[in-house]
Amino acid sequence: MKRRAFIRRAGGGAVGAALLAGCTSGDGSTNGSDSNGSATGGAGREGNTTGNTTATVGSAKTGGTLTVATYASFTGEDTAGAWLKSAFEKRHSNATVEFQVPENGVNQFVQRAQQGAPIDADLYVGLNTSELVRVRRQLDSPLFRSSGTVDGTDAIKQTLDVDPRGRAIPYDTGYITLVYDGTKVDEPRSFDALTKPRYANELITENAQQSDPGRAFLLWTVLAKGEDGYLDYWRDLLDNGVRVLADWEPAYQAFTDGEAPMVVSYSTDQVYYHDSKAQLRRHQVGFLDGQGYANPEAMAAFADAENPDLAREFMSFVLTDRAQSEIAVRNVQFPAVKGVSPGREFEKYAKEPPNPVTMSYDDLAGSVGGWVEDWSRLVASS
Amino acid sequence: MARRAERLALPVGVVATFAILLVVFYYPVGSVLVAAVVRGGRLTLGPLADVLGDPFYTGMLAGTVRDPFGVPAGLGGWVRAGFPSVEFGLFGFTAWQAALSTVASVLVGLPGAYLLARYEFVGRRTLRSLTIVPFVLPSIMVAVGFLAMFGRNGLLNDLLSIVGLGPVGGVLFTLKAVVLAHAFYNAPLVTRLVTTAWESVDARRVESARSLGASRLRAFRDVVLPELVPAVLTAALLTFVFTFLSFPIVLALGGLQLATVEVWLYARVQDLALGEAATLGTIETVLSLSLTYLYLRYEARQVRSRGTTTLSRHRLSIGWRTLRDPVRVGLFAYGIVVVILFVGPLASMVVESLTGSGGLTTANYAFLARQQAATAVGTIRPLPAVRNSLLFGLGTLLLAVPMGVVVSVLAARGGRGSRIAETLMSAPLAVSGVVVGLGMLQTLVFGTTVAGHRLVASGPVAIVLAHAVAAYPFVSRNVTPALSGIDSRLLDSARSLGASRLRVLVDVELPLVAAAVLAGAAFAFAISIGEFDSTVLLSQGVNTYTMPVALERYIGNRSVGPSLGPATAMGTVLLLVTAASFLVIDRLGGRWQP
Repeated sequence: MKRRAFIRRAGGGAVGAALLAGCTSGDGSTNGSDSNGSATGGAGREGNTTGNTTATVGSAKTGGTLTVATYASFTGEDTAGAWLKSAFEKRHSNATVEFQVPENGVNQFVQRAQQGAPIDADLYVGLNTSELVRVRRQLDSPLFRSSGTVDGTDAIKQTLDVDPRGRAIPYDTGYITLVYDGTKVDEPRSFDALTKPRYANELITENAQQSDPGRAFLLWTVLAKGEDGYLDYWRDLLDNGVRVLADWEPAYQAFTDGEAPMVVSYSTDQVYYHDSKAQLRRHQVGFLDGQGYANPEAMAAFADAENPDLAREFMSFVLTDRAQSEIAVRNVQFPAVKGVSPGREFEKYAKEPPNPVTMSYDDLAGSVGGWVEDWSRLVASS
Repeated sequence: MARRAERLALPVGVVATFAILLVVFYYPVGSVLVAAVVRGGRLTLGPLADVLGDPFYTGMLAGTVRDPFGVPAGLGGWVRAGFPSVEFGLFGFTAWQAALSTVASVLVGLPGAYLLARYEFVGRRTLRSLTIVPFVLPSIMVAVGFLAMFGRNGLLNDLLSIVGLGPVGGVLFTLKAVVLAHAFYNAPLVTRLVTTAWESVDARRVESARSLGASRLRAFRDVVLPELVPAVLTAALLTFVFTFLSFPIVLALGGLQLATVEVWLYARVQDLALGEAATLGTIETVLSLSLTYLYLRYEARQVRSRGTTTLSRHRLSIGWRTLRDPVRVGLFAYGIVVVILFVGPLASMVVESLTGSGGLTTANYAFLARQQAATAVGTIRPLPAVRNSLLFGLGTLLLAVPMGVVVSVLAARGGRGSRIAETLMSAPLAVSGVVVGLGMLQTLVFGTTVAGHRLVASGPVAIVLAHAVAAYPFVSRNVTPALSGIDSRLLDSARSLGASRLRVLVDVELPLVAAAVLAGAAFAFAISIGEFDSTVLLSQGVNTYTMPVALERYIGNRSVGPSLGPATAMGTVLLLVTAASFLVIDRLGGRWQP
């Protein structure tokens, strides 16, 4: 990190470019099999960003350090991040992947941009759609660069298109659903059922202000009940004793401790709970109205990434079948790429909703802030 | 030469304390709060008026902000309507729960102080040391413990059903749970501050009152009580301010339905609505700083005597007669409450760390061992976390105790305006943690450009400085009342014999207030061990994670599924390490006492 800051200070683009070119020239011919296209594809756009890394055009493989900012549970022992790092470094013998885990996620970089502080990272892994909307709303100049040609993007499931401007590329997705204890309640099959006395005081959800599943559930109710009807629906839910807890961990803990037999969670939860029939019955997945809300996770390269070519190669590596199934298993989320099979156990216990729904970037732009604000005021005053 | 250095020592200490405060506290916090009163480069009261005039925030008071002249008519309407219940909005609710929490904390804490100060029993000193442990526990752990203790399937209900008392439900996710959890954190604070004060009551004054014919009750009321009141009020004020600014406990045990201003502020920061967040932060700060100021003025008027003879303690157990003594029976009942409220959640957490879906298991500790042995990047290992926590704690201790003493000297001997100076120097207690964290992020972590160079402060030194700033007000809150109680003639005679100000402080004053300094030191250490927010912000990209940070990271670890098991195992480690540390601090401190 220090070195990067020094290079930037010491003389801007020219010195940095020379240093980077020096780093990468030695390995130009090691391997040219799979990323030629992406390297040249990216080169065309370099001019309008920093204009200092085009030295790698034509070389088959880029090297150097790729700094990946992500969330905590993506790195460390047995995680998707740790696997990706070693597998990618094995392929690119002169590349090093470094992880950064900012406590406040992508906000860190928005604030850095607002304060004129250096970004110090090449790639962000772990963006969702409403975060992209927030980034756009906060900043005048783009935080992320358009990804350009990244191998493997054509195979991404169409429903997961998170970014009309093609900067963020989805790499996995979860489906938000209800998880219920089958020994205590019957499956609530619809949104309307949840407001019935039969399910009074039996549902726990999460705070949509800052929890991913909580926000997904709120957006799902907006889809189901409409922009004009969702607040009335929530009024009914609140009257029926729904609890809105801070985040997924306390909510799920309260569910497993028997505080309530239903919780808003992920449709992959049974992957953890199939050791016995009794466990399975206590962690049933319920799709309301046959739906589940898709919450894709995406990655994007920063506009002033020092190593955009390497970032692109990393992204296309993430989209390979092998990486996709490893990520799915280790992150317990569904692959973003069509036709990937993450293994029998995963496929047996991770449930996909019959009708996945989600809100696109355009659905959310300009609206999501107001929906969440109105909703949270309603809940907090109840 | 040496005398010169001695003369300069205190002024240098004052300047250094101010300088640290300026860099680690005032500059960062200022950088955030400015956003509340500046829009587009111009000063404005608009944002403040917007918040204060919004019924969501201030309930019916909003009308008085928007239309001050309509107040009489509004009041009239309210009277005519038969005094219907009145809404005070988010601020009103926050103050209400803080008041309830303060009352609960004082009620639970006072008998503890009475017990520890006035009775002798096996394990008293150990118990006294351990009263500080709840203070360092991360809220997520306390929430887990509360769930396991007071939940529908919790330990309490299991025990009650054995006795045939039937389950009690519906405590969690209500105001009751929040108030209980606040008492869990703050009652030990009350106990500690009041015990320290009680133990320094001059026994000779009580004896002379008694010998002049005062009854025990009368002697207590006239001699002991006046010396306890400032400590009780300090504790109550701190509790009120802390619970007014409460955030993680409310989120974890109350949920959004019981949101406080601080919860809302945090959400605004998450949504990057920093202007609105700054406005809320400013209002909070003004409210809690005014309270602090009023309190300090009151405290300054209190006179406390101090002697070297302390009250003797009664034996707690007096054989079979114990059962006939109403006071001792009452203390026994209090013991049961303490076990349920304090031991229960902690024991439940330990039990949780030893159980899995299939009964007893050591899997969670095996997880910790695996993390320790892991080679993958980004792995948070338990032992470095323990080491870092202890090192930062020690560093904080070394820095916060001198800082706190310096402020106390200023406060105890200060003249005109010293209350304002003291308030400003106590401000770290009264400013929202979210605002401090945000400020640190924007200034220290992101760095500031000075003369073309980007200065970035992070890593161990920055963390210790931040911890010291958060901790030293506790040192001064313990030491100031004790210091101002020292007979000034003692100091004057020492000075007239030629001792420098520093000599008097070190040789005369500090030995007299050793108990208070020690109590403050324990707080400083505790705050450093338990601190999470600024640690995690300032430790970016460096191997400087602490036990609470490790614990939080294990919560999100997916390799063991949606389970708090590994985190509770780390929480148990944290519990053991801190309990051991406090026993050591108190034992070493005991030796240091005159």
